[in-house]
Amino acid sequence: MPNKTAAVQLKRRRISPSKIITYIILSLWAVTTIFPFIWVIINSFKERKYILTQSFALPIGELFTLNNFTETFEKFAVGPAYRNSLIISGTVTIAVIIISGLCAYGMARYNFRGRKILQTLLIASMMFPVFSTIIPVFSMQTKWGIVNNTVPLSWVSVILPQIAGNIAFGTVVLMGYIRSLPIDLEEAAYLEGYGVFRIFFRIIMPLAKPSFATIAIFSFLWSYNDLFTQMFYLRSADYFTITRLLNEISSQSGGTNHGWMAAAVVIVVIPVLVVYVFLQKNIVKGLTAGAIKG
Amino acid sequence: MHNNSMIFKKKTPLLVFLVPAFAFMAVYLFYPFVMNIINSFSDIPSLGASSKGWLDPWYSNYQRLVTDPYMRTAFVNTMLMMLCTIVFQVGIALILAMLVDNIRRGSGFFRTVYFFPIVISATALGLMFNLLFWYDTGPINTILLQFGWDHLVNWKEDHWMFTMFTPVMWQYVGYYFVIIVTGLNNISPDVYEAAEIDGATGMQVVWRIKLPLLYNTLCTCLTLAITGALKVFDLPWTMMPKGIPLEKSWLTGTYMYKYSLGGANNIGYSSAIAIFIVILGVLLSQLANRIFKEKDY
Amino acid sequence: MKKLLALVSALTLSAALLAGCASAPASTPASTGSTAGAASTAAEAKPVELRVVSSFSGTDGNRKAFETAYKAWEAATGNTVKDESQTSDETWKAKVLADFETGSDPDVLFFFNGNDANTIVEGGKVVSIEDIRKEYPNYASNMNDSSIPASPVDGKQYAVPTAGYWEGMFTNTKVLEDCGLTAPDANTTWDEFLEMCETIKAKGYTPIAASLQQVPHYWFEFTILNNDGVTGHLNVPATADDAAGKAWQAGLEDIKVLYEKGYFPANTLSASDEETFQLMYDGKAAFAIDGSWKTGQIVDNVDADHLADYTCTYVPAKGDRKPTDIIGGLSMGYYITEKAWADPDKRAAAVSFVEALTTDEVIIEMAAGSAATALKVAPPKPADLNSLQEAAFNMVAGATSVTPAVQDYIKPEAKAQILETDTKLVANGSITAAQALENMIKANG
Repeated sequence: MPNKTAAVQLKRRRISPSKIITYIILSLWAVTTIFPFIWVIINSFKERKYILTQSFALPIGELFTLNNFTETFEKFAVGPAYRNSLIISGTVTIAVIIISGLCAYGMARYNFRGRKILQTLLIASMMFPVFSTIIPVFSMQTKWGIVNNTVPLSWVSVILPQIAGNIAFGTVVLMGYIRSLPIDLEEAAYLEGYGVFRIFFRIIMPLAKPSFATIAIFSFLWSYNDLFTQMFYLRSADYFTITRLLNEISSQSGGTNHGWMAAAVVIVVIPVLVVYVFLQKNIVKGLTAGAIKG
Repeated sequence: MHNNSMIFKKKTPLLVFLVPAFAFMAVYLFYPFVMNIINSFSDIPSLGASSKGWLDPWYSNYQRLVTDPYMRTAFVNTMLMMLCTIVFQVGIALILAMLVDNIRRGSGFFRTVYFFPIVISATALGLMFNLLFWYDTGPINTILLQFGWDHLVNWKEDHWMFTMFTPVMWQYVGYYFVIIVTGLNNISPDVYEAAEIDGATGMQVVWRIKLPLLYNTLCTCLTLAITGALKVFDLPWTMMPKGIPLEKSWLTGTYMYKYSLGGANNIGYSSAIAIFIVILGVLLSQLANRIFKEKDY
Repeated sequence: MKKLLALVSALTLSAALLAGCASAPASTPASTGSTAGAASTAAEAKPVELRVVSSFSGTDGNRKAFETAYKAWEAATGNTVKDESQTSDETWKAKVLADFETGSDPDVLFFFNGNDANTIVEGGKVVSIEDIRKEYPNYASNMNDSSIPASPVDGKQYAVPTAGYWEGMFTNTKVLEDCGLTAPDANTTWDEFLEMCETIKAKGYTPIAASLQQVPHYWFEFTILNNDGVTGHLNVPATADDAAGKAWQAGLEDIKVLYEKGYFPANTLSASDEETFQLMYDGKAAFAIDGSWKTGQIVDNVDADHLADYTCTYVPAKGDRKPTDIIGGLSMGYYITEKAWADPDKRAAAVSFVEALTTDEVIIEMAAGSAATALKVAPPKPADLNSLQEAAFNMVAGATSVTPAVQDYIKPEAKAQILETDTKLVANGSITAAQALENMIKANG
């Protein structure tokens, strides 16, 4: 609605040269963002020896092969790796939504002493490099006995640090969004006899939906893509996630089996692509709503 | 901003709201960070080992930090990275956002596509760029040869900064693009109407209306750019590990990694670098907030 | 929102359920397998799961031999192996050591027996062969005790070695042919080698495929051997000016000469090792020094009918060293950790595991006819060697001496300093060899 007037004006104008230039520039950037992926996808269907020699040829006729994929699937447990990724990143996502949602609501609506300090802590903890915290966390979790144990426990050993790593971002983004919501609804609900938790789950969560969706998507992607933590905890092949497997494939291909590497990149990227294409509206909407006010 | 509504008078529920999050962060972030501070003053023989006592003098890791020439390289590169992030990432994003704001057809498509690189794992992107910049002969050099270049370009050596920075810049343009586009959408249409009545031209609208009204949004971008540049790790490490070429390409993050897990095996020193990174980040973002104070309209 | 949450939880849940089914067969023997194995072997009281950390990952030429041997052991004993194999690099070493420090010790470890393992030996984290033999007198009895490397910490033997390594020069004979040259042999001198490089370079090829930024290790080792000879090779410089110090400086200077003459690839300061070795595969480079493990990789990467283009020979020599003096040794072996030893359930299993993986048959297979072993029996020459393996076999068979790499005799920090940082800087002229040596000595403590 806000753009209606603007839109009407735009309609009145003719297609001008400046508009053509605009489209050309925008398309050029779009090419840079799409082309590399298309290049990798194309090359994942070629024998390794053609990848560097004929890197721009389409994989048709003699060039076409499925070997990179069949070999990758034969040699590596791709299915279980998807399963592990899904469980780990799914759990992280749900936990981050709930924990940082609660925290953001408390921080946004309550007045209490020490609020400022907690807020500074939140911001500062967004700045910790993961590799600076990993050793103490690793020895701590080893003492708890969840490292290098059974498969479910190894999931837990990755899930917990990843949740912790995403809470601060989630809270900051949600706080911004929740603050921008008018309080009237909550007050009305309170007068109806709602308790504060019911208000949170029944009113705030639905209202802040776009922002929650952003957190969900980002937590999922970060967890999925976070090779560093996964490298540290997931040592044996039963535990491998798909991103961890990518690393394994690239190291096992000795860096020169470009066919495998291209196939591995495709295998890793495809689920992300699917999630992204389906949910991209939420990503864009929610992220910006939070980030700007945060 | 904070309200005094009846709902929030009772403080006990606050515990339920705050405790899970802060407990998590205390155990997984603050405790290890405090350990880092202690470690940076301690004599630690190897990764994960317990300390053999305080260093003598206790500040010797920080002394080393100040005198280490590669640390200086890392610091300078990181600052350059930050500058490039602000100028190129935010700059390109701003231009693209302004352009998208002018069109109707296809704007959704451009948003989707521009944001796409951000959702991909930096490691996968790093492997991809390694192939693209492959010396003998990857696609980029192939194209150059076809356009009559007479030699192969040694990207990682002669143009290492370009080769390391470009993928990082490229990946995150979409992030700032989306933030700025939303900022533009938040500008009330009344403002444009008034401008049209005054007979403002396209460029005038950009300079007099859009840019000033984007001020707060750009401040957010600035903070994000500062913290973002300090955290960059995966992409540079996949493409340019170990400071190649000739120890020139260290960043604070990659240099710290060298001493923790990268073989050089000096936990105390790597902890000191980690502290340096966090302090630098807090200081710079505070500074940016002071200089570019957000305005209320 | 709700829909999204529902979607995520549904997916996660279904994946978890799926996991239950899929992982059940794999994890059963570990957790509830006490009934399964008990019948098969009377010797094992209770089947156990051993956590085995090794460097036999997929890239390792001996992966297959390792996997076959431990699978056979699993089948015979009813025990299971939790295989945590990763490619050996600096990060892997750091992680292995960190595991011990944080109490996440494996049961059996296949690791380096030199300075890299000092902290675990000092910390009493592994059990010496001597102590094991008090209870299991036949432990490692198929080895020559004098050939089992001892820890630099206390001179005791801890690791049961498998097949060792050697380092030699791989050549692309097609490139050499095109330049009118033949591969260096047992008599080639360093000066002749430099002449060959000049000819090759003039023909437009890259004489030496090596990544100075990532793996200068082999050239470093041989140029030093060329300057300090076999007898002095294992002396670590204490000052830049002692005999070893001078030899190391001279070695670094030799690398610098190769670099300055343009014999290394144009991007040797930035390319990865894989990228430079690719030049050998592409028929663009003539020489590469590498380890015994490269033989298998070349065989895997090259079509059978092109394998004849590659051969393996001696590194040209100067000074007191003869080309037939090669670098090699037994750098890695199986450790039994104190943790497994102290666990009454695991003690016997760990011993039987190491025994099963160090039988004559397994080691002879891993040695592929050429690598050094500590076995009492001399490995016979395998019958079905391909041309490259044949060349490697002949090279090792004709060696006049085999000296371990001196770079394994300095601390990991010092090794990282001189090999990963300073060698390329010396080559490129950024620092002098003397400075590099000072840095190394400082890091070595």
